Amino acid sequence: MIRRVRHLREQQIFDCYLAERSGEPLDPPMAEHLADCEPCGSRYAELTRFMDTLRIEGNAETDALFPPDRLQAQQHEIARRIEGVLRPARVISFPGRVMQRTMAATSSRTAPRWAAAAAAAGLFIGIALGASWESRGPARQTTVHEATETRASRLTAAAGTRSALTTDGAADDAFLSELEFALDRPRTRELVAFDAFTPHVREIRDIR
Amino acid sequence: MSGDVRPVRDADAAAGAQPDQGASPPRRISTAPIGEDSRLAIDIRGLIERGAMDEARERFAELVAFHQRRAVRIAYQYLRDPAEADEAVQDAFVKVFTHLTAYREAWPFEVWFTRILINGCLDRGKARSRRDRWVVSGDISSADEARASIAGGSQNPEHRLLARERRGRIAAAIDRLDGRQRTVFMLCHYGECSPRDISAMTGLKESTVRVHLFRAARKLRALLGGQP
Repeated sequence: MIRRVRHLREQQIFDCYLAERSGEPLDPPMAEHLADCEPCGSRYAELTRFMDTLRIEGNAETDALFPPDRLQAQQHEIARRIEGVLRPARVISFPGRVMQRTMAATSSRTAPRWAAAAAAAGLFIGIALGASWESRGPARQTTVHEATETRASRLTAAAGTRSALTTDGAADDAFLSELEFALDRPRTRELVAFDAFTPHVREIRDIR
Repeated sequence: MSGDVRPVRDADAAAGAQPDQGASPPRRISTAPIGEDSRLAIDIRGLIERGAMDEARERFAELVAFHQRRAVRIAYQYLRDPAEADEAVQDAFVKVFTHLTAYREAWPFEVWFTRILINGCLDRGKARSRRDRWVVSGDISSADEARASIAGGSQNPEHRLLARERRGRIAAAIDRLDGRQRTVFMLCHYGECSPRDISAMTGLKESTVRVHLFRAARKLRALLGGQP
């Protein structure tokens, strides 16, 4: 009686390959079959060779692109980059010369500071005086107002007088008194000559 | 890069990353023994907490040396640009140092670090794709090209040319993988992570990770004709 042999499926062979690569123990029946079955053994060997070639070729290519000196440089670069990582922030101090200059500038500003204080005091006093002057303002305005009123009343009185003369029919006397009033005013020396050439009202009246 | 597996974000360390929709929350690997790197990370965390920053920086250099080679491989395979990969690795280590106080020993340090690295690579990849819409991206420098071409130690120009073509084909095939498959495949094969580690990094179930790995391998074999 011929016993029919069931070969391993492709997936099972691949599992054997993975288990061997990972260092895991093979499934005993499959391991036994691989050892006994020549076709499955050769399939397994072919798969292993193919996969190993892929890996070796890939690794060889990468290793050629990254020789030890390049890896060393990469290590240095990583070390340089992590140098500042997780380092607490530090306060940057200004250079000493700048600090000294700053200090000197601060002391030299003492005099201008007094001058500024004096100017401020003067301004304050000026404002205070101005305010007090403003407070006296209404009284002064009252005085001016009183003077204005006096003058107005005087003019009103004069007008009243004039109207009374008019109404009383003594227009001539009023007219003459106005003339006299005008002649009594101080004369301007420069106009005296013109005055001499000009006929006076009195003269015209006398001619009539 | 639709369907990319965005590694599960560690609340304090990785920036701007959201877990993939549908992905289960990461399971803690509390049973895993603490590795040398994890112990070192815990020591550095203690130094930082005590304020011994200079000593912490010195010890961190050891941690960098421990994971640098693997980190560079992952980043380069992801970005396919040496300068970008260099910067991504630097950024990841700086971010790790900055947020090391948030590291918890319940996770292997490798998982935590790789998450941060992959997040950075994804962000860079997206930024580059946005940039490339407007700017014609430059090829890798001639120095890088020369270095890559002599990889393998062969001085024979014909061998070098063949190796270069082979690597170009492999890179093109990997680039054609689905986003999740690609990430999972690269973490497993270039990051040397186990499916369990990848599960912890990506938040995918371990069985899902295995399925993605299997599909990625099958597709690559189909694309490369079984022979890289």
